[in-house]
Amino acid sequence: MLRRAKPMLGTLTDIRITAPGHADVKVAMTDAFRLMSEIDTSLSFHRPMSALSSLNASPMQWTDMGRHGARILWLAKALGRLSDNRFNVTLGGALVTVGALPCHTEADFLPCGSWEDIEIKGTRARLKRPVLVTLDGIAKGYAVDMAVSCLKRSGVRAGSVNAGGDLKVFGEYGIKVLLRNSQGFTDTLWLKNAALASSRLGGGPDARFPSLIICQDAPPENSPQTESLLSVIAPFAWRADALTKVLASATPDMVTRLGGHIPYPASNPESTP
Amino acid sequence: MSDSLLNNSLWFIPMTFVAAPAVAADYLSIPLAQQLLFPSASSFIERPTLFDSGARSAIKSHAGTRQRQDHQPIWRVEKDGQLQGWFMVDDVIGKHEYITYAAAISADGEVMGIEVLSYRETHGAEVRDESWRTNFKGKSLKDPFKLDEDVPNISGATLSCRNLLDGVKRLLTIHELFLARES
Repeated sequence: MLRRAKPMLGTLTDIRITAPGHADVKVAMTDAFRLMSEIDTSLSFHRPMSALSSLNASPMQWTDMGRHGARILWLAKALGRLSDNRFNVTLGGALVTVGALPCHTEADFLPCGSWEDIEIKGTRARLKRPVLVTLDGIAKGYAVDMAVSCLKRSGVRAGSVNAGGDLKVFGEYGIKVLLRNSQGFTDTLWLKNAALASSRLGGGPDARFPSLIICQDAPPENSPQTESLLSVIAPFAWRADALTKVLASATPDMVTRLGGHIPYPASNPESTP
Repeated sequence: MSDSLLNNSLWFIPMTFVAAPAVAADYLSIPLAQQLLFPSASSFIERPTLFDSGARSAIKSHAGTRQRQDHQPIWRVEKDGQLQGWFMVDDVIGKHEYITYAAAISADGEVMGIEVLSYRETHGAEVRDESWRTNFKGKSLKDPFKLDEDVPNISGATLSCRNLLDGVKRLLTIHELFLARES
């Protein structure tokens, strides 16, 4: 097994290859890291020069987002529509207002919008209103998915990519994953040919976890009101990540309908489907 | 942000803390990292540097972070007698433990790449840190290297990536103060 890690996507990104197949693992890993770096460079909200920052800075104008940017926006828009806007990438304005994200624009912006504010044509996109799009987790998950595709294309038969908890495992070998909450370890599971992401719901602001997500609707009745762990398994890391946010304000049925499932009902018994 | 806002508006604080078995990980050996960061180099000449207290103070005042160790492992990297750059191995504190990493710095004082050699956190803390501070490539001392410049400041947070960033700035400072004249 070969493992490499790099500081990337705002975290320590780890690639492990358990079955190299016919691939040159060093080249495969370097290519996968490079691909993730490209996605990070063009789609980070924190980088003033990224394509995403250009999109946010010029509402109503078409901006070239590149192939990956356009695909992520398309996925985000589709999930926004299918989840009745529970997954919403246009909340950047509200996050900037509370200081959770940096402000790169001097123009006024709306605190939030909806998936309908994003228009996509080919690789170009524009915002119909001055909202700020933030792709955070979905872009990180997408980068993980792309890294896995890159490794597979190089001939790698099995391995995993983990970027700050957006984890995807592929090939014939599963890996053991410890899911834990702030109280300690809660469960162990084997993950094989799937992606897993987790989010924390509730509790007070925590300097260790500065990101915020805003949910517009009230949580469903059976949603946990105290701090808890929300984890979703899905075929792709982008979807697993996005669905943890959907799960925060929707029933698990909706998550299942959107292609995810909850790995360990023990930590959230009330919401077990 | 007040508690009432937190409760009323349903602010959800996402956190990523899924860890493949959370144990210390050794990723690369020094020779492997050298090969990855300088694939075309023909020789790595070890040039360990011993800093006295005056040198450590100078590094601290230029870099803003303390130079903990006296001994800094440095290699001069050459290809056919020509200087390719510098390879340095360094430790920074992650959440609780040291992260050992290697940096490649060009003769002009730019970061050519970073490789993590060992990560020793025992509780998977690395995957909980979210600083969005990422690509070191091409960074030089001309860059701000400040958390507030393009990443929101988080008081009290100890972020592995941020510490790596501080470490890299310190290595660039060492390059400028002690190695650049040889370039």
